[in-house]
Amino acid sequence: MHHGMYSPLRARVYPTLTCRKKVALAVVIWAAILLPTVHAQPLTLSAPTAIISTDTRCYVDGLSEQMNCGSISVPEDHDQPEGKHIQVHYVVMPAIKSSGKSEALLAIAGGPGQSAIENAKGFDQMLAKVRQTHDVILIDQRGTGQSNPLQCVGDGFESPLAINESDFDAGEESQKCLDELDADVTQYDSLSALRDFEAVRQHLGYQKLHLYGVSYGTRMAQLYMRHYPEHIATVTLDGVVPMQQSVLAIGDAIARAFDLLIQDCSNNTLCHNQFPQLAAELDKMDSELAQAPKISMIADPRTGEATQLTMTRSKFNGALRMALYSPSVRALIPHTIHQASQGNFQPITGLYAMSMDGAGIAMGMHASVVCAEDWQRLTPQLRASANQHYFGREMLKTFEQSCAVWNMPAVDSSFSQAIASDIPTLILSGELDPATPPSWGEMAMEKLTNAKHFVAPYATHGVAYQSCGNNLIAELVEKGAVTDIDGECLNKDISRNFYLNASTVEAIPRDTDTKQAKTALNQ
Amino acid sequence: MSNKIITMVRKELIDAARDKRSVMAGLYYAVGAPLLMCGMFFMLIGQLTSPEDLNIKINNPQGAPDLIKYLSSKGITQGDADKNKDILLVVSDDYASNMAKGISADVTLIADASNEKLQKSIRRLEKNLQQYSSEMGSLRLIARGIDPRVMQPIKLNVEDQATPDSKAGMILGLATMTMIYAVFISGMNLAIDTSAGERERNSLALLLSHPVSTGQIVIAKIISVTLFGMIGLLLTLIVSKFAYSFVPWQELGFSVSVNSSFIGMMMLVGLPVAIMAACLQLFVSFMAKSFKEAQSYLTIVLMLPMMLAMAASYDIAPDTLQWLPVSGQLQALIEFIKGRELPGMQLAISSLITLAISALLAFGMQKSLKSEKIVFGL
Amino acid sequence: MIQVTNLSKRIGDVQALDDLSFSALDGQITGLLGPNGAGKTTCLRTVFGLLKPDNGFAEIDGINIAKSPVAAKQQLGLFPDPFGLYERLTPREYISYFAELNGLSRSDAKHATSSVIEKLHLADIADRQCKGFSQGQRMKTALAQAIVHQPTNIVLDEPTRGLDVMSTRVLRDILRDLKNQGHCVLFSSHVMQEVAALCDQVIVMAEGKVVAVGSPDALCQQTGKNSLEDAFIQLIGTDEGIAA
Repeated sequence: MHHGMYSPLRARVYPTLTCRKKVALAVVIWAAILLPTVHAQPLTLSAPTAIISTDTRCYVDGLSEQMNCGSISVPEDHDQPEGKHIQVHYVVMPAIKSSGKSEALLAIAGGPGQSAIENAKGFDQMLAKVRQTHDVILIDQRGTGQSNPLQCVGDGFESPLAINESDFDAGEESQKCLDELDADVTQYDSLSALRDFEAVRQHLGYQKLHLYGVSYGTRMAQLYMRHYPEHIATVTLDGVVPMQQSVLAIGDAIARAFDLLIQDCSNNTLCHNQFPQLAAELDKMDSELAQAPKISMIADPRTGEATQLTMTRSKFNGALRMALYSPSVRALIPHTIHQASQGNFQPITGLYAMSMDGAGIAMGMHASVVCAEDWQRLTPQLRASANQHYFGREMLKTFEQSCAVWNMPAVDSSFSQAIASDIPTLILSGELDPATPPSWGEMAMEKLTNAKHFVAPYATHGVAYQSCGNNLIAELVEKGAVTDIDGECLNKDISRNFYLNASTVEAIPRDTDTKQAKTALNQ
Repeated sequence: MSNKIITMVRKELIDAARDKRSVMAGLYYAVGAPLLMCGMFFMLIGQLTSPEDLNIKINNPQGAPDLIKYLSSKGITQGDADKNKDILLVVSDDYASNMAKGISADVTLIADASNEKLQKSIRRLEKNLQQYSSEMGSLRLIARGIDPRVMQPIKLNVEDQATPDSKAGMILGLATMTMIYAVFISGMNLAIDTSAGERERNSLALLLSHPVSTGQIVIAKIISVTLFGMIGLLLTLIVSKFAYSFVPWQELGFSVSVNSSFIGMMMLVGLPVAIMAACLQLFVSFMAKSFKEAQSYLTIVLMLPMMLAMAASYDIAPDTLQWLPVSGQLQALIEFIKGRELPGMQLAISSLITLAISALLAFGMQKSLKSEKIVFGL
Repeated sequence: MIQVTNLSKRIGDVQALDDLSFSALDGQITGLLGPNGAGKTTCLRTVFGLLKPDNGFAEIDGINIAKSPVAAKQQLGLFPDPFGLYERLTPREYISYFAELNGLSRSDAKHATSSVIEKLHLADIADRQCKGFSQGQRMKTALAQAIVHQPTNIVLDEPTRGLDVMSTRVLRDILRDLKNQGHCVLFSSHVMQEVAALCDQVIVMAEGKVVAVGSPDALCQQTGKNSLEDAFIQLIGTDEGIAA
C-alpha cells in the first residue's frame, strides 16, 4: 500500500507503510446499509444527534502541558440516530491568551487514517503562534486514533525485513481485516466524519472555526467549506488534494518528485561529481529488483541481530519515496541509490527501517475513504496514466483487490466538483512535494474567489512544517483575510546539501582538489 | 452608637473626597502603578521575543558551507564586522576532512559567557549547532542501516501540572504586589490627614469634647481609611484589568488576566490587609507630632509591608512568611492566580494574624486618644 | 449648671489647677477671668473631660464628667479656641455633623442646623466650604456648632479673641439670648470689657486658684475700685498678663 498522503507531522520519524500485511483491508458483504446519501444538500448535514461528553484535563504524547480532552458520542450511521454509537475524541489545546471563546482553529490530519491527537506535538509546534491567541482543536477522525480506530493489525508473521510483499494477497488480507473489525466500514467516509467535526464544533461552542488541513486533511477542510461555510472563518490548505482530484493520481506526483531529485543532484556540482550515474543507477536497481528480490543477511536496524533482508522492489522504491517527504532525509537519497547499486543495502535498510512500523495510519479507515471517494471515480484515462509508473500500478492493483472487499458505496458525482467559496483561503504547496504537487494547488484555486496560492520552492509535503508557512497561517488567522499575506519568506533556502558519503555533506577534500571543492561550493 | 460611627465615616469620606491631595495620592497610584508595570512588561517582552538576526564572526566559513547555510537559515549570520556581536565561531581547518571520515569535526565557539547580554545569543547558537549535529548524527546512522531511534533509549514524558496561568510566576507576583500595595498608598494621605492633620487643625480636641467615645472615633477613622484603601485597590484592579489586557503575554507563553473572579478574590483577601494598613498608618500618624512628621515616619514604616510583599513575590523564606500579614495573603493570591487550590488554612491564619495586629493597633490608638499627651501634643 | 469641685491638675512642673472650685448657674453668664497662664483653658478642658484632674471633679448638670463622659458632654456645647473648623466642609455640613454626634437623628440635625443658621444669619455662607472664611464667619460657624443641639451649658474659650467690633457685638447678643433662654453660659476671657459688659458672675483666677467670685459690681465694691480692670489687678496682685 503505497499511496498514503502522509503529512510529516511526526517530526523526524517520518511515516510510511511499505509492509503489505498492514494493508490488509477487508470487505463488507452485507453492504446493504448504504451510506446516507451525501449529495449536494449541504444543509441536510445538520446537527448530529446524541452528545455525551466528558471534558477532562489530560496530557497528550510529547507535550508536557495540560490539555482539555473529551469525546462526544455520535451515531455510527448518522441517518440512524438510534443505532450504534461511537465515541469521537478530541483535544483542545487552549490558547495561551484567549481572545474570547468564539473562534478556534481546527487542525485536520492527513493519511487518510492518521490520528490528529497522536500528532499533537507537531501541530503544537507548528501552530505555536496561532495558539498564542486561539484554541487549537484536534479531532481523531472516526476510524482513527481513539475514535473507534479501524486498524488492520495483521498477524505479524515474520520480520517485515524478510517479507516478500508480492506474496501477499490484498484481497485476502482485506477480508481478514474486515472480519475482525467491529464496525460498519461504509460509515467511515469523509462526509460522515465531517458531521462529527461539526458536532464537536457545536459541542465546544465555537461560533467559527479557522481550518488547517494538511494532505488528506485538506479534503476534510474543503468539505467543511462546502457544507458549513457559515462556520468557517479562514482556511489553510497545506499540500492540497483538490476535490476534482482522485488521490490515486499520486503516482504522477511521486514520479515527478523522483525526477526533481535526480535533477537537483545533477545540477549540484558536488552531488553530480560524486554520483554522475544516479539516474542510471536508480533504473538499474529498479529493474533488477523487478526481476527478483535480493536476499542477504544484515544486522537488524534496531536489534542489531542477524536477520534476513529480502530487498524487494516494493521496499526499495517505498523507502526512497518516503525519504522524499522530509527535506533533510531527502539529502541522503543519492548516496542510498548509489550504494545500493554497488550492492550495499545499508542505507536503504536504514531508510526502510524508519518506516517499518507505519505512521499510525488506520488502514481500515484509509480504505473506507479511498474506496468510496477515489477508487470509484477512477476514469480510464486516470487508470492509463497511473499505470505508467511503478507506484501507480501497485496502487491500482492493491485497491482493486481491497476495494472489492470493502465494497464502499460511491460518493455522488457532485463530490468531485471544485469548491466554490469566498472564504479567505491560503493554499500552500511544496515544489518538491512527492504527494500533492503544486499543480494540484492550482486546481484547488479554480473556484475560490478569495484565495492565494503560494509555492514554497524548497519545501516538500506539509509546507507549514518546513518553512515560514506557519507564520502565514498565524497572520491569516489574526487578520481573517488573505489579501495582505505575502509569501516572500517561503523562498528562503532551507535545503540541505546532499550526503556525499555516509558521513558528510561538505565537499570531501582530496589531496589535490581542495581548491576545486571550494569553487564548487560557491555555486 | 453605630449611628455616630456612620456619621463620622460619612464626614471623613466627604472631607477626604474634597481633599485633592488624598484623592490624588490614591488615584496616581491606581492609574500609575499598573501602567508603569505594563510599560515594564512591554519592554521585557520586547527583549525576550524579538529574535533578531544574530550577527556573529565566523572564521574559516568556507570550511563548512552547509553548516553556514544552515545557521543562516536560522537567522545566524556573519554580519558586518562592526556590527558583530562578540561571538566568534571558528571552523577548524580539518572540518571537512574529519566530517568526511565520520570523525567529530571541530567547531570552536569563543565568547565571554559572563557577559549577560551575550548569554542568550550564545545559547541560541549552541542550540542550533546541537540541532545540526544531532540531525546529521541521525542521518549518519540511517546511512549505516541503523534506526536512529536506538540513540534514544529513554523517552521522557513530562506531565507539567502548571496551567498557562501558573507559568506567569514571578511576573504575577510582581503584579499582585503592586495591586495589594494600593491599599497602603491609597489610604495613606487620608490616614495622616485625619489623625496628625486633625490635631494640627485643632479639630481633634473639639471632636473629643463631643459625646462620642474614643473607641467610636478610632473605629470610624479606621473604617474611613480602609474604605479609601479598598477603593484604591478596586481602581488599581480595574485599571490593571484593562492595561494588562494590552500586554502580549502570550508571547511569553502564558497569560495574565485580571478577571472578575480575581478581582473579587483580591478584594476579599485585600480587606484584612487594608484594615491593617489603616490601623498601622493611623497609629503611626497619631504618634507623630505633625503632618510632615507623620509623612516621614510612614514612608519608613511602609517599607515593612513592601519588604514582606517582595519576599512573598520572590519566594524568599516562604515558610515563615506565609503566616504573616501581606506576604501570607500575597502567597495565597499567587496560588489562586496560578489556578491551584487556595491554601485556605494559610490564608485564614495569616488573615487572622493581620486582623489581630489591627486590633492591637486600634486598641493602642483608642488608649492614646485618652492621653493628654497625644491629644494636645503636650 | 457647671460645677467644679476641688480641681487640681499638674502639667509638667506647673500646678495648672490648684484646688479649684466654682459653679456656673443656669440663666447666667459666668466669666472665667484670669491672666495668661492662670489655668483657664486647663480648667475648661477638664470640664470637658479632655484632661483628667489629679484631684476633684467636674459635674455638668450634676453628672460627673469623668464617670459618664458621654452623658455629661451631651449637656455641653463647646466654642473652642482655636475654632477647629473642617476647611473642606460647608458650615451646614459642619454644624449638622456635630449635631448628629450629639445624638440628633439625621433629619433632626438638618432641621436644627437650618434653624441655627437662620438664627446666626449664616445663610449666605452656609453652603460654601469654610476655607477662606473671615474670622467673624468662622466664629459664627463655631458658635453654631456649639449651640446647635441646644445644650443646657455652653462653654466658650476666649470667644472674642481676634474678632472685630461688629462680630463681638453679634456674639454678645447671642450670649445674652442664650442666657435669657435659661442656658448656663461659661466663658473664659482676659478682656475686661467683655466680662464687664456680659457677665452676671465673674470668677477671677490666678495660678490655678479662684481669687474672687461675684458680679462685676460686687468685685469693684469688694476692692473699692471703679473699674473691673483695677479691681482685677488688685485681686491678682500684679498687672502681669493683662490685656486691654
